[in-house]
Amino acid sequence: MLTIKDLHASIGDKEILRGINLSVNEGEVHAIMGPNGSGKSTLSAVLAGRESYTVTSGEVIYEGKNLLELTPEERSWAGIFLGFQYPIEIPGVSNVNFIKAAVNEHRKQKGLPALSAAEFLKLMRERMAYVEMDSSFSSRGVNVGFSGGEKKRNEIFQMAMLEPKLAILDETDSGLDVDALRIVATGVNKMRRPDNATIVITHYQRLLDYIVPDVIHILYKGKIIKTAGKELALEIEKKGYDWLINE
Amino acid sequence: MKQNYIYSPALATGFKCKVPLKDACQLFIVNGKVQGGISPFVLDLKDGENLSETLQLISVRNEQHLGDLEYSEAFHFGKNSRGKVVMCSHTFSLDDFVTRENVNIILESGARAEFVVMQNEHNKAIHNAKFSIKMADHACLTLVFLSLHGGEINNTVTVDMNGEYSECNLGGLYLTDSTQLMNNTIDLNHFVPNCKSNQLFKGILDDNGITRFFGRINVAPGAQKTEAFQANHNLLISDKAKAYSKPQLEIYADDVKCSHGATVGRLNEMELFYMRTRGIPSAEARLLQQMAFAYEVLEKISNEELRERMQSLVEKRLRGEFSQCKNCSKNCC
Repeated sequence: MLTIKDLHASIGDKEILRGINLSVNEGEVHAIMGPNGSGKSTLSAVLAGRESYTVTSGEVIYEGKNLLELTPEERSWAGIFLGFQYPIEIPGVSNVNFIKAAVNEHRKQKGLPALSAAEFLKLMRERMAYVEMDSSFSSRGVNVGFSGGEKKRNEIFQMAMLEPKLAILDETDSGLDVDALRIVATGVNKMRRPDNATIVITHYQRLLDYIVPDVIHILYKGKIIKTAGKELALEIEKKGYDWLINE
Repeated sequence: MKQNYIYSPALATGFKCKVPLKDACQLFIVNGKVQGGISPFVLDLKDGENLSETLQLISVRNEQHLGDLEYSEAFHFGKNSRGKVVMCSHTFSLDDFVTRENVNIILESGARAEFVVMQNEHNKAIHNAKFSIKMADHACLTLVFLSLHGGEINNTVTVDMNGEYSECNLGGLYLTDSTQLMNNTIDLNHFVPNCKSNQLFKGILDDNGITRFFGRINVAPGAQKTEAFQANHNLLISDKAKAYSKPQLEIYADDVKCSHGATVGRLNEMELFYMRTRGIPSAEARLLQQMAFAYEVLEKISNEELRERMQSLVEKRLRGEFSQCKNCSKNCC
């Protein structure tokens, strides 16, 4: 589904990604871990098409297409979803109008008619329940006045509405208490299917107790320095990253 | 000058609004002449009178009167009276028009009035609207300007708060493109203690549009416990648009709450990126941002139907379509 080959990216004249190689297949869950500043969030931003990063070399092939040529919205239509580490607040745009615009645009791209008000409401209620979100959130401005946990739940709710093929969740666990973490993880697990894939970026092993990965990659200074099975997370939880860096 | 408004069904059909607001009474002023009534227009509400319908004054200019035109409208709200007024101005031909409109509003003790002023003309029209407002004690006024289209629009508003415990709420939304020029000049006088005023003016400027906001709040000596707030925010969509903002506070009392703020900025890039990652195309995302920016002013309109209609006119305007109501062939509201 996704193949990243020797990806280099920088912001300004600072190189952050220094040759990433990664391959994700349908049905898989990959976790990317690593110390602060290793380039985890940069990788997710580059995959989603943030323009402030420059890809200097390498390629990203997604479902046979050159992903780097697509605009952020085209990537979304193609089935890529980025769950933000710090979801953006948009005062004045209600959550419901925001997600309705997104869903109907996706449908338009697929040649489907816009959902009727009743159909949309039904779908929204159903998907809000995935993350135990109260319906009062729909009329509020996007993420405005939401707590950290509510913002992350809203990310997963949006993901549930858009049904992506490849979800990239950037530190979705940061700032969550145990209950919120469980709710968010349950939401993600509900959406797992044999034909989609998830990349989970995280600092901590605890998220991986809930969203069990097939593969774990350790990112350090812009490169993947180790790839192993899920047991690697436990080892990192005990020993930290130093032993890997020194290896 | 004691003439209440009259609804005249005997209007030239060409000017008939095909999609009137619910519970609204329409009156047309064509080239400064009140249709089916006496000019200039006067509304005089008796003490305690409650205007059951929204009065919609539709001022139209067309090719039958070219060049300069001056006319006036007077509104007198008696003690404890209530009323809502929508004033729309339109041009039905593309001639060079210069319109000078003088509006006098007097609110007696305890009167409550809401005015929505919608200006939707064309690029060769100049419209100077001068509002002189006098408020007695316990009066409450909301006045919202929606300047959608016009070659040059100059709104000059003078509010004299002459009685204690009165409240004045001013809003303005101005949208410019091509070389349109829109100016709002506000002179808000707190002459007595214990009054409140609030001003919110917002502009969205595209192409080579130029806007100016001059807002002066004057708190007279002895006008203690005044609360006066003013904000002017401008969103520049193009690199060539210019927004000038000049807030002024003159305070001669020492126990008051006053503030002013002015900003000129661009659309937030992170918001834009966030929306695009959800599949909302760039142009649509920008529109959503602009609508959100505008909504804060539209929110001041209490009549829901009118607010929604204005919102849709603003949206059409921002999309670059003709700002006209559904099912209507004229650029009316």
